[in-house]
Amino acid sequence: MAQETITRQEAESGQYRAIGKPIVRPDATGKVTGQSVYTDDIQLPRMLHAKVLGSPHAHARIKSIDTSRARMHPGVEAVVTAADLPPYKMNESNRRGVIFPKEEVLFQGQPLVAALATDPHVAEEALSLINVDYEILQPVVDPVAAMKAGSPLVRSPLGDVDRSEERGHVTLNVEEKESEGKPSNVASQMNFKRGDLEAGFAEADCTVEHTWRSAWVHQSYIEPHATIADYDASGELTIWTSTQAPFFIRDELAQTLGISENHIRVIAPEMGGGFGGKIYLYELLTAALAILVRRPVKYIMSRREDMLAATPAPFAQVALKTGMKRDGTLVALQAELVYDSGAFPGAPMLPGCLLVGGYYNCENLDIQGYEVLTNKASAGALRAPGAHNATFAIESHMDIMAKELGLDALEVRLANAVAEGDLLPSGQPYPRIGLRECLEAIADSNVWKRRAEVAQQPNRGIALAVGGWMGGLQPASAIVCLNADGTINVTVGSSDISGTNTSFKQIAAEVLNVSVDRVSVESADTKTAPYAGMSAGSKTTYTVGRAVQLAAEDAKRQMLDVAAQRMEAAPEELEMVDGEVRVIGSPDKSVTFARIGKWSTNFGAPFASIVGRGAMTTRKSAPGFTAQAAEVEVDPDTGEVTVLAFAIAQDAGFAINPMSVEGQMQGGVSQGIGIALSEEMIFDDSGRLMNANLLDYRLPTTRDLPPIETIIVEVPSEEGPFGARIVGEPSIVAGLAAVGNAIAEATGTRVYEAPFTPERMLRAMGKL
Amino acid sequence: MTKQLITLNVNGERSEIAVEPSWTLLETVREQLRLTGTKEGCGTGDCGACSMIVDGRLITSCLMLAVQADGRQITSVEGISTNGDLAPVQRAFIDKGGVQCGYCTPGMIVAARALLDANPNPTLNDVREGLAGNLCRCTGYTRIYESVLAAAEAARA
Repeated sequence: MAQETITRQEAESGQYRAIGKPIVRPDATGKVTGQSVYTDDIQLPRMLHAKVLGSPHAHARIKSIDTSRARMHPGVEAVVTAADLPPYKMNESNRRGVIFPKEEVLFQGQPLVAALATDPHVAEEALSLINVDYEILQPVVDPVAAMKAGSPLVRSPLGDVDRSEERGHVTLNVEEKESEGKPSNVASQMNFKRGDLEAGFAEADCTVEHTWRSAWVHQSYIEPHATIADYDASGELTIWTSTQAPFFIRDELAQTLGISENHIRVIAPEMGGGFGGKIYLYELLTAALAILVRRPVKYIMSRREDMLAATPAPFAQVALKTGMKRDGTLVALQAELVYDSGAFPGAPMLPGCLLVGGYYNCENLDIQGYEVLTNKASAGALRAPGAHNATFAIESHMDIMAKELGLDALEVRLANAVAEGDLLPSGQPYPRIGLRECLEAIADSNVWKRRAEVAQQPNRGIALAVGGWMGGLQPASAIVCLNADGTINVTVGSSDISGTNTSFKQIAAEVLNVSVDRVSVESADTKTAPYAGMSAGSKTTYTVGRAVQLAAEDAKRQMLDVAAQRMEAAPEELEMVDGEVRVIGSPDKSVTFARIGKWSTNFGAPFASIVGRGAMTTRKSAPGFTAQAAEVEVDPDTGEVTVLAFAIAQDAGFAINPMSVEGQMQGGVSQGIGIALSEEMIFDDSGRLMNANLLDYRLPTTRDLPPIETIIVEVPSEEGPFGARIVGEPSIVAGLAAVGNAIAEATGTRVYEAPFTPERMLRAMGKL
Repeated sequence: MTKQLITLNVNGERSEIAVEPSWTLLETVREQLRLTGTKEGCGTGDCGACSMIVDGRLITSCLMLAVQADGRQITSVEGISTNGDLAPVQRAFIDKGGVQCGYCTPGMIVAARALLDANPNPTLNDVREGLAGNLCRCTGYTRIYESVLAAAEAARA
């Protein structure tokens, strides 16, 4: 059903009382005072700390593990290896199907043994007393070499691959083709074809062909993975964990451990950032330990462990050939994308294939993708997984072609940009989208307006790039209850990773026409909340927000029914205003929400309690697009790139909370700039990570980031609450390409491999 | 290892505790005093989530041993507000959207307090210099800059 189209002006002119306004996050107070509780802040009686020994080798056979000295270490309660665990129902083709490998280590840092003690230092000491005898196997590190026939194999052949986690980030009606036949390091492939590629290139006046590489990067949430598990005497398993996906974890644990879902409770306390990297990782390990020792177990990863053995975002190589006519029409696009998947399938190759040909109309295309295994920690999601790698290629080409043909970079994009009804490379039509509107908006940014002026200055340049993301889809539900004092409780199952609970408050307050202060939201407890999909794929407001809207509408109907009976009026004659139900046209005839609350909760109350229920599913995505402009300065002597200014325009559909939306836009931009300038997990030839810490893995600091200019574009989605569409992810997508294009403007030099470190810059400029 | 008796003055409260010589100030404050507001993000002094003020100096408490803090005046995030009243810098982080996931926030608040104590009228560049030791992964810092500048302005008013 189509939502009514609303504009920012209408929202600000008072048509809405709660939505469309920058409401502060209620959780912020606990966070600025240190009172908020994160997983590591929880201490349970009898709790043990787990420390985990990871493999120092990227590929090895385990010959033996000797834990005898560790078990004798004073204070150690247990030392656990694969041999100590019961035969759980595991699918070893998946990362989450392996607690400890029995025979073959597949990446550096892969957990092999856990030591448990009340004192975490004692557990740590125990690890140093464990002796593992390895037969070192040849590691496979370079995914491009690993694709070739005759390459050594990363691992023994895979069984069935479960891709349910990836589908939470992006839900598409297409599937990878799993590799069959001869054992190979290629886990899956994808091909999209349209038109006649040869004819397309023949028509082109300008053909450009380059290969673009972008590094492994880490989500680098400031809170490393943290989990507590408790298995009590009655057989109830409770997990407190820093996750975006409480229900997903519950369902996976139930399957693996053979415990029914109603006996597993997953609670997500405050979480210190996720960005796609906190879905389901060591919850199974921690639960298995807790079940074994029958005591609560806490496992907090160190930063080093998290960098080695979580699920970072992969390297990709995109070989792209594009052809454009003199008038700026894109006529041919051929791409080969190789995504490094690490030791298990799960690389975001599919969205990369869609996006490389998904921003612009092009009648002739051929896109081939490969997901390739290597001996590294398996790839996971990072905010629009796989998108920045592919976008780097196509958005660099757009600038290169525009320049060669003497066309304007913005105009040429506008001329080719997709809109509603245009086709993705998969042949699916786009729903209503706002790519063109974003391009028009970025033209109005302060950064873009300075373009001509900056072009006159040496070593400085301004350029742009677009980005987008399809988004995930999963069913969602919500409950809205009226309390005796007239306040409102909203309960949802999603984790709040981006301020979504604040938006839910606003949505419920809007429907019930009551002040936002009267609404509170509880979330992320699988035992008390109705189902929600994982908070990934930018879908939380789009899906759970819609469920909250429906639940609030249901509660409203019930409240109007009660009021109608008491006021001897028909429900249609009533309206809700400022926490009261009034007779339309006779504002003196009213009952307060508190009265209705009491009539439905007190002893002997005449009415049943008010419990609004909202549940939804949709097959229609609400893709989000962005256009971004970067101003950079390049030091010709050191090769250092400085981002002087940056602007982002992004289509939010309708910004339920503009402050949150801008926060998401700025946060994604900062990660995009990090990917462009400094973030890179560096592996040596034996597959060992050389920079597993936050000094050598360089995140952007305050010195690196100027204030980021934000422009919210609002092209309403068709099914989201009040027209809202996906917001969280698109912002990360375009930064790499925008900075690369700006460097080309500043220096006339292209750098084909990210990040654009001083060394790569100097090489590209011929100075090294 | 033999434990050592030390006195920690945290947020104006004196506690005598026995510590291992290897314990960091961070883990001692978190695990012994159960003041869990201060966070560990890296354990190697790179992220600033564990920032505290010791004798007027901003430090990363994961790199200071508890025994080194013996007898010194320590401020953690719990000591920024007084009697439950939020300090201007806390108020500003809430109102300006300087808080997202919140894990860097305690360190940011403490670092911002140290910055504003030393320089009540900072420019944008002063703020960018002053917070350079504190990583935030959520905000892109824009709203943190605005928060600190707004806190300075509120203190002047």
